[in-house]
Amino acid sequence: MRGLTQFIADIRGARVRELEEKRINKEMANIRKRFKDGNLDGYQKKKYVAKVIFTYILGYKVDVGHMEAVNLISSPKYSEKQIGYLAVTLLMHENSDFLRLVVNSIRKDLNENNEINNCLALHAIANVGGQEMAEALAEDVHRLLISPTSENFVRKKAALTLLRLYRKHPEVIPAAEWALRIVALMDDTDLGVVICVTSLVMALAQDHLDAFAVCYQKAADRLYRLVVEHEFAATYAYYKVPSPWLQVKLLRLLQYYPPTEDVTLRKVLHEVLQAIMANSAEPSRNVQHNNAQHAILFEAIGLAIHLDTNSPLVTTAAVLLARFISSKETNVRYLGLDTMAHLAARTDNLDAIKRHQGTIILSLRDKDISVRRRALDLLYSMCDTDNSELIVGELLRYLKIADYGLREEMVLKIAILTEKYASTYKWYVDTILELISAAGDHVGDEVWYRVVQIVTNTEDLQPYAAKVVFEYMKSPSSHESLVKVGGYILGEYGHLIANEPGYSPLEQFQVLHSKSQFCVAPTRALLLSTYIKWVNVFPEIKGQLVNVFERYRHVLDVDLQQRACEYYTLASRPDDDELLQNVCEEIPPFPPRESALLGRMNKKHLDTEDKRTWIHGGKDANVEREATRKNTRKLTLGDVNGTGATNGVAHAADAAAGQDATNETINSLLGLELSTSPSSGTAPAFPNMQSAPAAALAEAGIPRLTVNASVDRWYEKLTYTADGVLYEDVQLQIGIKSRYHGHIGQLAVYLGNKVNAPLTSFTTTLHVEDPDAVSVSFAKLATNTIAPRTQTQQLIHIECKKPFSKPPILSVSFLAGSHQTIAIRLPIVISKFVEHVKLGQADFFERWKIIGGPPREAQSIFPIKLDDAGHIDIARQRQVVSGYSLNVLDGLDPNPNNIVAAGILHMSEDGKVGCLMRLEPNREAKLCRITVRSTSEAVAAEMQRLIQKPLGADSIS
Amino acid sequence: MISAFFIFNQKGEVLISRLYRTDLKRSIADVFRIQVVSNSDVRSPIITLGSTSFFHVRVNNLYVVAVTKCNANAALVFEYCYRFIAIAKSYFGKVDEESVKNNFVLIYELIDEINDFGYPQNSEIDTLKTYITTESVMSTNVPAEESSKITTQATGATSWRRTDVKYKKNEAFVDVVETVNLSMSAKGTVLRADVDGHILMRAYLSGTPECKFGLNDKLVIDKSERSGLGDAVELDDCRFHQCVRLDEFDSTRTISFIPPDGEFELMTYRSTSNVKLPLRVIPTVTEIGTSSVSYVVTVKTNFNNKLSATNVVIRLPTPLNTTTVDCKVPNGKAKYVPAENVVVWKIPRIQGGQEVTLSATAQLTTTTHRQVWARPPIDVDFQVLMFTASGLIVRFLKVFEKSNYHSIKWVRYLTKASGSYQVRF
Repeated sequence: MRGLTQFIADIRGARVRELEEKRINKEMANIRKRFKDGNLDGYQKKKYVAKVIFTYILGYKVDVGHMEAVNLISSPKYSEKQIGYLAVTLLMHENSDFLRLVVNSIRKDLNENNEINNCLALHAIANVGGQEMAEALAEDVHRLLISPTSENFVRKKAALTLLRLYRKHPEVIPAAEWALRIVALMDDTDLGVVICVTSLVMALAQDHLDAFAVCYQKAADRLYRLVVEHEFAATYAYYKVPSPWLQVKLLRLLQYYPPTEDVTLRKVLHEVLQAIMANSAEPSRNVQHNNAQHAILFEAIGLAIHLDTNSPLVTTAAVLLARFISSKETNVRYLGLDTMAHLAARTDNLDAIKRHQGTIILSLRDKDISVRRRALDLLYSMCDTDNSELIVGELLRYLKIADYGLREEMVLKIAILTEKYASTYKWYVDTILELISAAGDHVGDEVWYRVVQIVTNTEDLQPYAAKVVFEYMKSPSSHESLVKVGGYILGEYGHLIANEPGYSPLEQFQVLHSKSQFCVAPTRALLLSTYIKWVNVFPEIKGQLVNVFERYRHVLDVDLQQRACEYYTLASRPDDDELLQNVCEEIPPFPPRESALLGRMNKKHLDTEDKRTWIHGGKDANVEREATRKNTRKLTLGDVNGTGATNGVAHAADAAAGQDATNETINSLLGLELSTSPSSGTAPAFPNMQSAPAAALAEAGIPRLTVNASVDRWYEKLTYTADGVLYEDVQLQIGIKSRYHGHIGQLAVYLGNKVNAPLTSFTTTLHVEDPDAVSVSFAKLATNTIAPRTQTQQLIHIECKKPFSKPPILSVSFLAGSHQTIAIRLPIVISKFVEHVKLGQADFFERWKIIGGPPREAQSIFPIKLDDAGHIDIARQRQVVSGYSLNVLDGLDPNPNNIVAAGILHMSEDGKVGCLMRLEPNREAKLCRITVRSTSEAVAAEMQRLIQKPLGADSIS
Repeated sequence: MISAFFIFNQKGEVLISRLYRTDLKRSIADVFRIQVVSNSDVRSPIITLGSTSFFHVRVNNLYVVAVTKCNANAALVFEYCYRFIAIAKSYFGKVDEESVKNNFVLIYELIDEINDFGYPQNSEIDTLKTYITTESVMSTNVPAEESSKITTQATGATSWRRTDVKYKKNEAFVDVVETVNLSMSAKGTVLRADVDGHILMRAYLSGTPECKFGLNDKLVIDKSERSGLGDAVELDDCRFHQCVRLDEFDSTRTISFIPPDGEFELMTYRSTSNVKLPLRVIPTVTEIGTSSVSYVVTVKTNFNNKLSATNVVIRLPTPLNTTTVDCKVPNGKAKYVPAENVVVWKIPRIQGGQEVTLSATAQLTTTTHRQVWARPPIDVDFQVLMFTASGLIVRFLKVFEKSNYHSIKWVRYLTKASGSYQVRF
């Protein structure tokens, strides 16, 4: 393309902008002429579009060539296509009408088998990323990502393209539906793909925690393989650190989830973290190696803190952090302080941090402002009753020299700490007033509102507070916030100190009134209110006060004038009038409520993109936050399953959160109960739940059960037998062997690959609806591939804690060409934890009677099928009953057809529960009556339901 | 006053740097480069950053910059810059990057001479040429030994003139050059019309002549109560050369002066009323759909048919998406210049009282974003000799000298337009 080279050379050579413009105008005229004439071949089009692009890059307006660019995209030649794509990504913005014309060409390129074209198309999508484009093409990009035929670098690009689309238009990506398929890619053999997919998963998982829950296991597994087993390609070692970027991403990803309950996973993670910390001990070779190590180490410490603050790892980490916060490098100091704040926010025992209090306080004077900020956060987080006086004192001292940008936050923090850890009220009042007088402009209204609230609610404090405020007011220049506090407190409680020398009403009045001329209207209004209160309690200075009202009746400010007029009339009523007294009745204590200060603090953390998993503040703050988060999660889960949890609480919480700051403040000050009815504009948490149950289930991370007749039959059979087939299809067979003892059980799951290809990215996860009642966990992490025609075994440990009715769900997903997921119920039912018990006739009936009728009795009558001879299949019935672990007691019942059985259910938390059963089949009516009595209602009902199922006429076996 | 003087090229490189005072550092040049040269948003000639003010004048892609730290008289600073340009022009012809680089020793010599500690000094070209000499400017009329006279002259009553000038033939030439600025609306109403006039004089007179100069200026005429003549011209903003006695002008409205030797600008003025427009342009431009634009442009000369307009150049703007233009002209040449997005119609000469018409069609191409064509104005350049747009006439020029010699006086008029004679359509 000599023309293009010449053109660029000419422009580069232009000495003056005017000459450049002339050259471009000339060229553009030529291009316009060419385009208008038509009949251009691909080469010429490419050349002219390239010139147009160059002109555009130089900053000139360009309004030709778009159509030609669109045509170039569908050209078969790479060089032409490339220029076409370049033009599209550069010349067109995301809302351009031309994009509609391009979408089809892009789709064609995405679908093609040529990976270079795929990449060009992916680039274009990621760069333009318009809404329309995302909607039209997200599906195709996803397909490209998961297609087994895609090259690695296509998949990398596809993952990043999806990430970009998700960041721009999160609503376009059905993240929950794709979750399993995307997570499966984290097992890819190519680390590059894994890094890209992990980035994508990180973004998606933050918003869809439950749907992506599988990634927890994958991340742990991958970390283990990287860090402990050193399983990675040599190209992915960065200064001998195995893929630090991936490690950091995985460690961060793990922090998004609440610490796992799974013992095996915990063990794996512990090992990984230990290895990382051990690695960091070795001296670093150079800057890059050092950086990589530190990056991983800090994330690892974060994860260690997140998992368990009491583990020995955290103790090691604390020692490391202590070294970091006095490091010479600013970045290390910053990260050290930040991580330490994380530790302080989580740990029960602040001693490790307190040891370095001096260093941290010194960091407040660091030369770097961001380090100072982190030090402030850390001090705030590590403050407790023991060191509060010291820290608050230090902060107060620092406040006077702090940066202006930092002051407002500092004031808030000091105010919160002072209130939270005040040992004596005296100290509280002293500190907070010093704060107000020192920080002046940086004191938000919330701070002094809170002071007033606390003083009003604490009777012992009132005289002291009044005195101290008065002393502060005496200083020649007091800040307006102080005047407000003074006005309020002296007005309410001034009379308590009026009899002491130096605090006479007249002196109080003179001091307060001398400040009024420097104040803005709202403060003056507050002072007027103070005066009317004084009219009530200090009749001796009534004259001066009325005088003030008199003068204020003529000011221009409407509020002031109205107050003055009203107060004047009120004050001029005859002395025996009780109205004034009634009006100026002492303020009743405020209802106790959460400080508005905290609300204001936490609001600041809301708008970060990469969400923090913790907040600044002590452990309590974090625990509280976790609790609310869990609650909302539970509630939404309840919704999904339709177990009847009402939305009310969630709505109330939403509505409360939705109120704006002023409302909040007013609310907390006046104690008004703003109605938080569900109809107040908050949409239901999941509006489309009913319409799209599948998506909703996926969103909540509950696997969708694989359903067919044989699955049910296998399951039902296994509920009363120990071993057997749980699932089978052309690819996979799942067999079960189980053993139970008391409340403990062990389930061996045999996973057999029936095809001639390996099953890759093999993932098994367990899902328990009610983890408090029954806990299940794998004994160790499963391998992620099953070789052709082989079998692997996985052990599951089970513990029954309470009665439960929903069996755990095992979901198995794997890649065999396409991605497949099977979710099946594990045959773990309550009866498995029942043990035989032998009872004599007398014993049995005595207990039977003691338990008595409903609600501790569950009874039902159901139809049964007779065998071919028309008899009741007693043998089978007996087999079923004893399969449910009940001991069939012969000779107890006079009717030999009836079956009487007994057992004891073992549970680790709720203890042992006896269970008695009586089965009365009736041949003539083809009916059967089952009665289960148990000391626990839930157990009785559940047992009855279980036993009835295989016996009933509609049983499928 | 002026603390520093710089010349920058287009790219912001410093060509000349002279600090007159110590209150600035040489690095102040970087501030100007960053804030003005590289910043395309700033086009104001005065920028104040902090307590430092930059005054700049652009000439041939050079920035002539004066920097001051105090509240200097802005008009004076600009006058100084323009004066420097005038001096440079008379010393080495063209003022551009190359000539500045070639003459930088001379330039330093000049800027040291015309400015002392930031205060402008004598900047009279003729005087300067007597003692700042180059190969081309030889100090011919002053023998070397008489250089002491320079001091006397520079500090004397008439610092702009030597006393011992002698000519065989005493001549004085007066050129009245007027530049017409016009902007006319699409409907043909005159939005703005004014005339910038310069009266240049070349005096080759012996001794110390006392000159008196008269115009048909309204003020002068009213003063002298000869209101019989109806063609009096109202002049605004008269500015005179320093040789003109202003007190005399203020009291009696006469322009009397002792001229410097050689060429100088006697006065400049502006006239805004009764401007006679020498050329009338009547454009009819119609957009036919979105695919073409047709032009019919008629030019009429509006002066005596004994005179003629020369070097007429008419620039007709075309839409930005023009591909080709077909032009038909009876007179001169017209062609489409894509580099500037105009059709240029050049007519070497049009007699007074004539009219010529161009007709053209521009073909357009389709564009992505339908934008309405902004229709920038048509621009006309021309020159008309012996015609003044303001109607100004030199009524007399008298020369008095002790020796009472006879002098010959020549007067020439020229009206021109370049770049600011604009007609909208």
